[in-house]
Amino acid sequence: MKMKLSLISAAMLSASLLLTPAVSMAKMPIAVNGQQLPTLAPMLEQITPGVVSIQVSGSKEVRRRADPLDFFFGNPQPRSQKREFSGLGSGVIIDAKEGYVVTNNHVIQDAEKMLVTLEDGREYEAKKIGSDKESDIALLKIDAEDLVAVKLANSDQLRVGDFAVAIGNPFGLSHTVTSGIISAMGRSGLNIEGYEDFIQTDAAINQGNSGGALVNLNGELIGINTAILGASGGNVGIGFAIPSNMMKNLVDQIIEHGEVRRGSLGISGRPLDAGLAKAQQLDVKQGAYVMQVMDDSAASEAGIKAGDVIISIDGSEISGFHELRSKIATLGEGRKVKLGIYRDGKVQTVKVTLDGASALTAAGDELHPAFQGATLENTQKNGNKGVEVTTVDPRSPAARVGLEEGDVVMQVNRQRVETISDMNKIIENTKGNIVLGVQRGRESVFVLIQ
Amino acid sequence: MRATLLPNVPLPSAMSIDHLSFADAVQRAAPSVVTIISESISKEPRYKRQNTVQELGSGVIMSSDGYILTNYHVINNSDQIMVLLTDGRRYFDVQLIGFDTITDLALLKINVEHLPVIPISERFSPRVGDVVLAIGNPLNLGQTITQGIISATGKQKITDSPYNSLLQMDAAINVGNSGGALVNSNGDLVGITSAQFKTRENLDIQGIFFAVPYSLAKEVMDKLIRHGRVVRGYLGFTGTAVDSTGKEVSDNYTPVAGLRITNLDPLGPAWQAGIKEQDIVVKIAGENVTNPQKTLNIIGNSEPGHEIEFELYRNAKVLKVMVKVAELETKL
Repeated sequence: MKMKLSLISAAMLSASLLLTPAVSMAKMPIAVNGQQLPTLAPMLEQITPGVVSIQVSGSKEVRRRADPLDFFFGNPQPRSQKREFSGLGSGVIIDAKEGYVVTNNHVIQDAEKMLVTLEDGREYEAKKIGSDKESDIALLKIDAEDLVAVKLANSDQLRVGDFAVAIGNPFGLSHTVTSGIISAMGRSGLNIEGYEDFIQTDAAINQGNSGGALVNLNGELIGINTAILGASGGNVGIGFAIPSNMMKNLVDQIIEHGEVRRGSLGISGRPLDAGLAKAQQLDVKQGAYVMQVMDDSAASEAGIKAGDVIISIDGSEISGFHELRSKIATLGEGRKVKLGIYRDGKVQTVKVTLDGASALTAAGDELHPAFQGATLENTQKNGNKGVEVTTVDPRSPAARVGLEEGDVVMQVNRQRVETISDMNKIIENTKGNIVLGVQRGRESVFVLIQ
Repeated sequence: MRATLLPNVPLPSAMSIDHLSFADAVQRAAPSVVTIISESISKEPRYKRQNTVQELGSGVIMSSDGYILTNYHVINNSDQIMVLLTDGRRYFDVQLIGFDTITDLALLKINVEHLPVIPISERFSPRVGDVVLAIGNPLNLGQTITQGIISATGKQKITDSPYNSLLQMDAAINVGNSGGALVNSNGDLVGITSAQFKTRENLDIQGIFFAVPYSLAKEVMDKLIRHGRVVRGYLGFTGTAVDSTGKEVSDNYTPVAGLRITNLDPLGPAWQAGIKEQDIVVKIAGENVTNPQKTLNIIGNSEPGHEIEFELYRNAKVLKVMVKVAELETKL
């Protein structure tokens, strides 16, 4: 009798041992009226340990607001002063063995101390491995055992309408999970970052979510939550995340070189719209229209010509020029890519090895703080070489000094410049005012930077 | 072996977590949602230069030959309307067929054939809890899909007209979403997204949004195609629902037996027919007054110029009165 009972319990034990992993694979153990309901809890239990809170503190220079009295009584106080700050953000563990934590650059910018708090309460001081301001990615490292990393998904395979789950530390409420769907892919032109290729989602993202994880229903990382649009600063259902593939490219470069070495094709162009397609009798709906190919660039070596339409990178379609620019820049120097090109009614693929970008394009503030918010690119117009201002954020210092999109810088302090490196050399050796000689349309104008 | 140990309730394929996505619904519906840019040119004589103001909205393609529903408030100031399709085509010769201020709907027409029409399921009736997707172009970001559920149906007290019965939902919409599509998880049209809840105190309220249900939008659209405007009957009285003992009904459970007249428009159709305050209307056009909303629809759908028979109680006597329907004037 006793014997029989213990046998049954042993059988039950083995059954339940077998049962446990099988049920967790089904992922939906809750049933109502015989119908199982979807729940994200089993997936979340596995991956929330991979999301961390990041507390930063430091001091940064802040410009003192001009006091009207200064006009009358001189200016006894310095214009800028150091101010202590502290901030909160989120991060994602992407390599458990090495302790790599990826977050947004704007979370840890200017920070002197970064404290990473794990879900189980352990706290570690983090070391910065590298960061990239223009794409807003930073890589930190913590020395900790038994970490859980979040697996990466292929973000190129996402479709609008797929579910997305955001995990982060909004308003300091650690490990908050919100859900939504993917509202759009390949968003750019928002002027939040230098290089934009965002996933848009309606999962609620708020202050403190920055740097946190956006995952799919399998618990794989599809993006790093980065920004929101909203008049009041709160969530209105429009959030943006850096796709995991782009993040991976940047992080790989940071690990290898300690910095991001941007890739470049050496072309200038514009998004293909219906009007341009009709005028040029092109049979494609979207892509990047090539207007100019620089000499000795990766694009010219690969045989890309002005008038081509670049429609895909490594097989994934691109919607416009901004997306191409962001993808190329973040893929990194020396990377081999396959571009799908539409020419004369036919689609062909060309292989390109990307140039380093430093030579051909630059973010404005790499040259001078007054150029912040502008991007520069080597160009050639009517046979004259110069540096073109390709984009200007209308609220940036670059716009305030009077730079406009399409300007071509021909001179700096009356010296002829043909490339960004020429410009950089002159500006580095100049103290005080800088005068730019700029070709704007058919006019020549001067821009003074004090 | 292990498979037999799995819980034997099979997962519906649509609910399986690996396939849980609205991508197919989006693919069905998204091409039929257009961006509408309404341009107004200010004619202020003080300014020498003409000032052009552009407003942004969304619209839904209702027929392959170019009928597009949008919100009235998207195009109400416009001198020129532009329609942008998702495939990049743009149309400037947009005709305004008509509009209805009460439901805030407007019907546009572009002269193009073979447009992608929004999927419609006549069998679908929205229920609280249904998953919905809002498709539109908020803040001119480009087409955006947001997700939520239907929070309530038949919301009437949001606008000041009883003829507008809205769906409440929590799918986020923003400026520019107005006039866009609200679809269900199959991609079928549920309504036209229209409004966001805002208080006078400028409280930051999120998660309360409204849409005009498809059935109402369809009714309005059909009338706009036929007459160019929406004609509603007007009788000129307001009333409160009462039960069979004459007591006011304030909940949803007590059966309604009639409407007590509380206010009469002086010189209005009801007043002219001799109806007085405190009368209790029990039958309109032969139908018992048991559902105030239904009564309202009978009045709204009655044709101006026709006569309707009223049966009412006054001083414990039953009277029959004929009332000549007037047309409801709408404020612009």
